[in-house]
Amino acid sequence: MFFIPGPLIALVTFPGVILHEAAHLFFCKLFKLQVYDVCFLRFGNPAGYVIHEKTDNFTALFFVSMGPFVGNTLLCVVFCMAAFLPVWELKVSDPLAYFFYWLGLSIGMHAFPSTADLSNLWEMAPGKAKQGSILAIVSLPLVAVLYVLNFARVIWADLGYGIAVGVLGPIALFRALARV
Amino acid sequence: MRQATCSQCGLTTTVRSFYSMNGKTYCEPCVWKAAREAKDAGLPPEYVALQDNSICGRCGAYSGDTADHPIVGKLPLCANCAPQVSNWPYPNWLKASLAVLFLLLMVALVHGRKYFHAGRTMYVGEGLVEEQHYEQALPYLQETLKIAPESDKAVLLTAKAALAIGDIETANKAIQGHSGGHFEHADNQDFQEVKQTFDRASRAFVQADEAAKLEQQDGHAAEAARMMHAAASMYPEARALTIAAETSDEGVAFEAKDYDKFLAIAEKQWQQYPSAGMAAAVASALACKYAATGDFKYRQQAEEMIETSRQKVENDPEGQKAFQEYVDRIRYRLESRQIITKTQYDRRFRSGQAN
Repeated sequence: MFFIPGPLIALVTFPGVILHEAAHLFFCKLFKLQVYDVCFLRFGNPAGYVIHEKTDNFTALFFVSMGPFVGNTLLCVVFCMAAFLPVWELKVSDPLAYFFYWLGLSIGMHAFPSTADLSNLWEMAPGKAKQGSILAIVSLPLVAVLYVLNFARVIWADLGYGIAVGVLGPIALFRALARV
Repeated sequence: MRQATCSQCGLTTTVRSFYSMNGKTYCEPCVWKAAREAKDAGLPPEYVALQDNSICGRCGAYSGDTADHPIVGKLPLCANCAPQVSNWPYPNWLKASLAVLFLLLMVALVHGRKYFHAGRTMYVGEGLVEEQHYEQALPYLQETLKIAPESDKAVLLTAKAALAIGDIETANKAIQGHSGGHFEHADNQDFQEVKQTFDRASRAFVQADEAAKLEQQDGHAAEAARMMHAAASMYPEARALTIAAETSDEGVAFEAKDYDKFLAIAEKQWQQYPSAGMAAAVASALACKYAATGDFKYRQQAEEMIETSRQKVENDPEGQKAFQEYVDRIRYRLESRQIITKTQYDRRFRSGQAN
């Protein structure tokens, strides 16, 4: 395992950072949460952030925290789909395909919610789950897994996730489509 | 900035350095102590930081000694910050970037269309190969190769399917289209499997070629047939070799002047593979029977089979050429009732040049 400074990785994969923060901002605005500060990209840790008001609305918190995860994952799959076949399966030398792969993986590897996002959800979810909130019940295992994966970022779990989504996603999709 | 005084120690400083607990104001060290004491006394120990409403919670702008900033949500915010916090605008560059991203998404999908098609045909072909439906798989895999001739997977699947139905030409074309037949991962199991089959098929076709050459020489029909059968056994997937082996038996029967056997084999082949060549072979055998017996019904049947063969090559220039070469000899046999070999016929009527 080799060490590359996080800010450098963020710069190389900047579309993912910007999209992640844009998704946070989008859901804050959607749920009418006050936003105190936004940074879409910077050379530092974290590479971007959205500071918003605290809320007791679990749905709002869930979407603000998990929105980037879902959004970045979906975009990663779509961009990698256009690149996966020519790069991996068809072995076609297509620079545009490599560009889309970089874009897809950049977006995918910044899908993980931050520890702060997950902590907020983790604190509120058990209480809401006891009150019968389906979203809270569903989010508990998801948050737990993401929490662990988030710590595994030091061993490139975020890149691993991007590659897994960018490779396995299209494989599964194309194989399913081929049977149709 | 507004000032406050600790109710416990009397410290006076800015409001934001103080805390409120049970209605009293404390500095930080005193609030810790008071919280412990309140807890021991069974009172609520929670405390909150005092907020200076004259200072904007976001930018720190001071509103003056008398006026407070309005509370927006939970924070005092100045006139500049309040609208932004309530409705943070998307920066123009972000809007432009998202538009570009959307455009790229469209480009990716449009640009990737040909790859989606090639990928789909490859996966369909792969599925059919797994189910051993090789003949059905081949058109799908060939479609993939139009876009991706360098794809190891597509090439090996195509070669495997083609070799499985005896189509060594298509297999060779696919393999040669892949960096002139070079594969980086030669230890790959699929590659090895295709290579072994291809080598076996190549050996079989080389032997079949030798047998075919031998077949052209008078008096070697038996040896040629033995070699052709060996080639067909070596590569039983090739229907063409099986047919050629059976055809070579016709040659053996012809050389042995066993025209009944010649006719029986030719008719059997015609039943199995109703092609122009097979029809002509039946006509040839019937012509032999006519020449040997003088029975006119054989001549009539031979004429009918010649016509059948002619009809089958109507739209096939190559087939017409082969038909004409064969039919001239058959007609000579019917007209003269002389049974001579191709070599003899060529020597007599074609200045010794075999066509």
